[in-house]
Amino acid sequence: MLLVLVGIALLFEAIGWSVRGASFLFNGQRLLVMVLQVSIIGLLAIGMTQVILTGGIDLSSGSVVALSAMMAASLAQTPSARAVFPALTDLPFVVPVAAGLATGALAGLVNGSLIAYTGIPPFIATLGMMVSARGLARYYTKGQPISMLTDGYTRIGEGARPVVIFLVTALVFHVLLRHTRYGKYTYAIGANPQAARVSGIRVNRHLLRVYTVAGLLAGLGGVVTSARAASGQAGMGVSYELDAIAAAVIGGTSLSGGVGRIAGTVIGTVILGIMTSGFTFIGLDAYIQDIVKGAVIVLAVVADRYRHRASHV
Amino acid sequence: MIRFAVLLIALVGSSCSASAVPAAPVIGVSMAHFDDNFLTLLRVAMADHAATLPGVELQFTDAQGDVGKQLSQIQTFVAQDVAAIIVNAADTAATASMTKAAREAGVPLVYVNRRPAEATLPDGVVFVGSEEIQAGTLEMEELARLMNHRGNVAVMVGELASNGAQLRTKAVEDVVAKYPGMAIVEKQVGNFQRERGLDLMNNWLTTGTKIDAVAANNDEMAIGAIMAIQQAGIPPGKILVGGVDATPDALAELAKGTLTVTVFQNARGQARGAVEAAVKMLRGEKVESVVWIPFELVTRENYKSFVNR
Repeated sequence: MLLVLVGIALLFEAIGWSVRGASFLFNGQRLLVMVLQVSIIGLLAIGMTQVILTGGIDLSSGSVVALSAMMAASLAQTPSARAVFPALTDLPFVVPVAAGLATGALAGLVNGSLIAYTGIPPFIATLGMMVSARGLARYYTKGQPISMLTDGYTRIGEGARPVVIFLVTALVFHVLLRHTRYGKYTYAIGANPQAARVSGIRVNRHLLRVYTVAGLLAGLGGVVTSARAASGQAGMGVSYELDAIAAAVIGGTSLSGGVGRIAGTVIGTVILGIMTSGFTFIGLDAYIQDIVKGAVIVLAVVADRYRHRASHV
Repeated sequence: MIRFAVLLIALVGSSCSASAVPAAPVIGVSMAHFDDNFLTLLRVAMADHAATLPGVELQFTDAQGDVGKQLSQIQTFVAQDVAAIIVNAADTAATASMTKAAREAGVPLVYVNRRPAEATLPDGVVFVGSEEIQAGTLEMEELARLMNHRGNVAVMVGELASNGAQLRTKAVEDVVAKYPGMAIVEKQVGNFQRERGLDLMNNWLTTGTKIDAVAANNDEMAIGAIMAIQQAGIPPGKILVGGVDATPDALAELAKGTLTVTVFQNARGQARGAVEAAVKMLRGEKVESVVWIPFELVTRENYKSFVNR
């Protein structure tokens, strides 16, 4: 997967020289921006990877970003005539952060409960949450954006902080998945739920945990994105879940479950970021960008499969 | 299954009996988006204005940017016998079937804010809105004046499928083309979103291209550009930033001196115009087929008068 990343980067480097007469990669600021613009998607992708590992899917994460962003932002306002809760302004930043994370975790808990205890497919359960969470985000302020946020809160999204939050979160879940029982159960359930159950893993309880974690990470995404934009808006995070799925799959996670790594997902996320920056750098016509992006996503996965098959023979 | 059918009949029955009571005429309103900032102002202003008119009731639906969904909503309105329909088109190129559905049922139809691409609207169908091209022209002319008609311009484009994005961008390009000392050096899509504007500006700043002014298709993207400029440590005012909409957030940026110019799109004027056109038509009065609500330039000098509009 790393090879695909390097390949795409070098391609932009080559085109960049001919179009701009400057290096695409040897620019520290640009490297930062590449990851910065996808760090929210990266947070979702970390949760998505774990859900996909269990053989599930989470379509609700983009909407949960919006809902958490709205909840958090409404408790992070400075006093003004337009404050959502005029009595609750200038609160320390931990209050909105906790509210955002709790909102996300709660949404995830509902997803997990539906999947574990009613037996409906994850696709349907999280599709319902995707629609309802977006609706709730709109209903909360009747569609009005929530702005004028405190400096303490917006600082979370300033400069390179979203990147740091993304990478630290990735590291934490990399370790959790590779070296703890939490990870072993996650892989076991995805590889063979029947066998996992027989070997004594409480599958339902573990699914509940994984979906709650995915919700929590979407909540974190909502906090970071609203801090970064200094505003909570119900239209945030639209179709982020699809980018997160793309990042996980480009990174080698199998949609049939049981196979995948957080490190791969991080690379998949960075590939999405490189494309966004690369397209802007070479000045690719806006009408063409999405066409190329879709093709690259598919080709990246094909290339990786092919390489894997070759190495196994 | 039977129980479900009975329940369904009961529900339909109760909703029918509710509407059988001679109530206020209902005007069905289908909005392209409930969560777009400007469209929210428009929707709230319509509701506010209808509340001042005795005997008029608005029923809002959200098309969520989906043409198909919007057409179904219009058909549902027709089926429930609303007195008139107001449509904020999800896609301005795909209004013909909605026009047809309303015409066949003889229900007056008002398009608001986004102008249908149809060359002429039939009787009983009108458009109330502002001339998008004017917004881009006002924005870019003011930026050009402040740049002394020379320098590099970067353009942030809204949703590619939207009429507003296309016409505002064209207007910006036309103004820049008028002055030999000016050039458009960057042009990318930011989908009307703040985060996308922020990411775009971040990317542009790393390319090293000299940018003297950013002309964004709306205020949200302009605010994103301002945030990127601030975070890069560039002093405010060094890169001029223009937007469109004059949202409360944008007026706050104008007050700080970080936003150079925006253009006021009169949400209240459009809302009032649309509701009044619908009411007139359902009473059988004649309405002009296009009702223009002018855009207005907002600068540091006059922004205060727009704060509560």
